[in-house]
Amino acid sequence: MSDIVCVATILLAGLAQASLQLGLGGLILLYHNSLGRHRRRRTSYLARNYILGTGAITFLVVAAFCFLIGNFFNGALTTEWLVIALGALGACAIVMWLLYYRRGKGSTELWLPKSITRFIRKKARQTNDGVEAFSLGLLSSFAEMPISIALFFVVANAILNLSSAWQVLGVVAYTLISIIPMVILQFRIQAGRTAVEAQQWRLKNKAFLKIISGSSFLTLALFVAAFWIMK
Amino acid sequence: MRKKITYEYSSAGLRKNILMNAKSLRLPEAWAKQIADRVVKNIDKWIADKELITEDDLRKQIVKELKVLEPNLAFAYRNHDKII
Repeated sequence: MSDIVCVATILLAGLAQASLQLGLGGLILLYHNSLGRHRRRRTSYLARNYILGTGAITFLVVAAFCFLIGNFFNGALTTEWLVIALGALGACAIVMWLLYYRRGKGSTELWLPKSITRFIRKKARQTNDGVEAFSLGLLSSFAEMPISIALFFVVANAILNLSSAWQVLGVVAYTLISIIPMVILQFRIQAGRTAVEAQQWRLKNKAFLKIISGSSFLTLALFVAAFWIMK
Repeated sequence: MRKKITYEYSSAGLRKNILMNAKSLRLPEAWAKQIADRVVKNIDKWIADKELITEDDLRKQIVKELKVLEPNLAFAYRNHDKII
């Protein structure tokens, strides 16, 4: 794979990861609960820690996948494993279109087991300090791992194809892209919007978000497959 | 079978909850207090002749009351557990 193809893969995978909704939903919950109890400054601090938590776990997991592929696959996924990863991405696209959101009008509830969402909701209500917010970010990002695991395989494979000086930058770029929606939300709320407005936007654009998420997974799979075949 | 949990309705708890939601919506404090007082008064009246109600019914009634006064607050109250 050429460097440009690798960079494009990282960008596309980052966008697919950014389109996942649990991190954003968790942040909206945290904002809503925290603004009701704390001063704005404290809430911003908690939100920053939450975003840092999601970023940190994404960075670490991608780095771990790079290590895994570097050590167990000699630096690049074999064709069989790549086909499995791309198949999983395709399956994720279908899941995003059909099952990612629970059925029901007026709700953006996700596919996750109720016990996990209940736990995240409870923690978002109780979060009072930076460490708790950071670990809530870790948790919400980790909970979405079944969907993002295929992304991590593909992106780690692309990162390892870059020259070694650019590999860390690749992981950082992927992490930064994946947290963009949360950073935007934080800016919007700091600029005077409320968490309720953000949730109303999510609700209104639920179908659009579903299509975007599914399409980004499928586009990434097709993109990587096309360049793999061309190679 | 799931164990049924019952707890006592508290006007003060409801008031606090409405005020918290109002604060996160950045509503003016005086208006938030007015809303909370009015809703609590109406809910107290509604609940007076009932021995047992479900949490869902109570929530629906609160949303109904809030919708008249502040639709965004009603939205926050109704959708609180439907975000993720």
